[in-house]
Amino acid sequence: MAELLPLRFRILHYISTVDKACVEQIMKALEPEYGTEKQFKKAVFMDHLLDLKANFIIDDNDAVIDDKGELVIYYSINHEGRRLLNKYLPKGWRQK
Amino acid sequence: MNTSANQRAILMKEKLNADFARKGVLTGLFSGCTWGLNSVLLGLALGLVPILGEEAAIYAIPLAAACMNDSLAGLWLLIYNGTAGRFQEIIRSLKTFPGIMVCIAALLGGPIANGGYLLGISLAGPAYALTITALYPIVGALLSRIFLKQHIVPRVWVGMVLSIIGAIVISYVPPEGGNSSVFYLGILFASLAAFGWGAEAVLAVYGMSMIDPKIAINIRELTSGIVLAIFVLPLVGGWAVVSKVITMPVAFGAFAVAALAAGVSYLAWYKANTTIGVAKGMALNGTYVMWGVIFSVLFLDQPLTQTLVIGSGLVLVGATLVAINPKEFFKKGGEA
Repeated sequence: MAELLPLRFRILHYISTVDKACVEQIMKALEPEYGTEKQFKKAVFMDHLLDLKANFIIDDNDAVIDDKGELVIYYSINHEGRRLLNKYLPKGWRQK
Repeated sequence: MNTSANQRAILMKEKLNADFARKGVLTGLFSGCTWGLNSVLLGLALGLVPILGEEAAIYAIPLAAACMNDSLAGLWLLIYNGTAGRFQEIIRSLKTFPGIMVCIAALLGGPIANGGYLLGISLAGPAYALTITALYPIVGALLSRIFLKQHIVPRVWVGMVLSIIGAIVISYVPPEGGNSSVFYLGILFASLAAFGWGAEAVLAVYGMSMIDPKIAINIRELTSGIVLAIFVLPLVGGWAVVSKVITMPVAFGAFAVAALAAGVSYLAWYKANTTIGVAKGMALNGTYVMWGVIFSVLFLDQPLTQTLVIGSGLVLVGATLVAINPKEFFKKGGEA
């Protein structure tokens, strides 16, 4: 397995491997890698997602209200996000 | 899923994004406030450094101060990131290309811009050098348009220009007569400083698309501090100043406190730049000139002259224009 990426980088990479994902799904997928770390918190993940969205690298076109009445936003990667990943993703991660 | 639930979800999402952007604006203002505090504290700390001759006052002391400020801020940030469990993120980031970009941004904004700034002042005189270096937010905004494709609305341009005029009014010093033969070289160095600070923000924001701003700023401060310490200080005799300060607990403590303000300020600036864009982030950070005046009047009994009031007023109006859209602000329940 390739070395761990910085968390924000890995979140962007994970979103590129799925059609769309909400924060809970992203955290579940990345738990084996970052789950024991102190930074593994929903607020931290949300901050990364909102920053990625503010930088026009991911989109948040899909939003729903769940059974508990809470907002769930599904994020998906866009063209600019894919371009950045293609350019800067370390070699060991390219086939993932 | 019915239509009203859909609409409610969209409204909630828009509110979340708007609140996030508003927090970014406040973070940008906070970065300006703490940078103003850093300037005042650094001034106080410099006052505690013993007189080491005229030569030292021009290059050695300011560059040693810059080195201590960046290095100590880097250490404060290391403590902050370490206790938050992000230490390994620094190592991971440095192994990626965006992490290297942040290091290059550090060199542009640290040794290159700081060096250019000091050489500009010494060769061309403060009147011209300070005016030119005050233009750095415009350089940053232009570069962010070209390289980051960030759209800047006319309101933000106007606000930025007003802020810069205000900053020039505050820091203006009447030019001394007679241009020396090195005058144009000084202008060139001052331009290099404005370019360095502008380019730093753009390059750092590009890197921060993939790296946490809290980590990026830690890398930036440590890189700048280490390069200044190893490559720049030996050239100007700066180590004599640093070793003197280290033996004086009060002076060293003053530099450490100033560096804490610098670390907090830079942390806020990098975060604001990623959240609300380089142009707004830089313009709001630029309010430090006004905050510097406020702190100096409040705590150092500096007289409040007409020039300082006018300059600070312009900075305030300019920053407000950058941060808030008046049309939306005055709408009922307006979004800023």
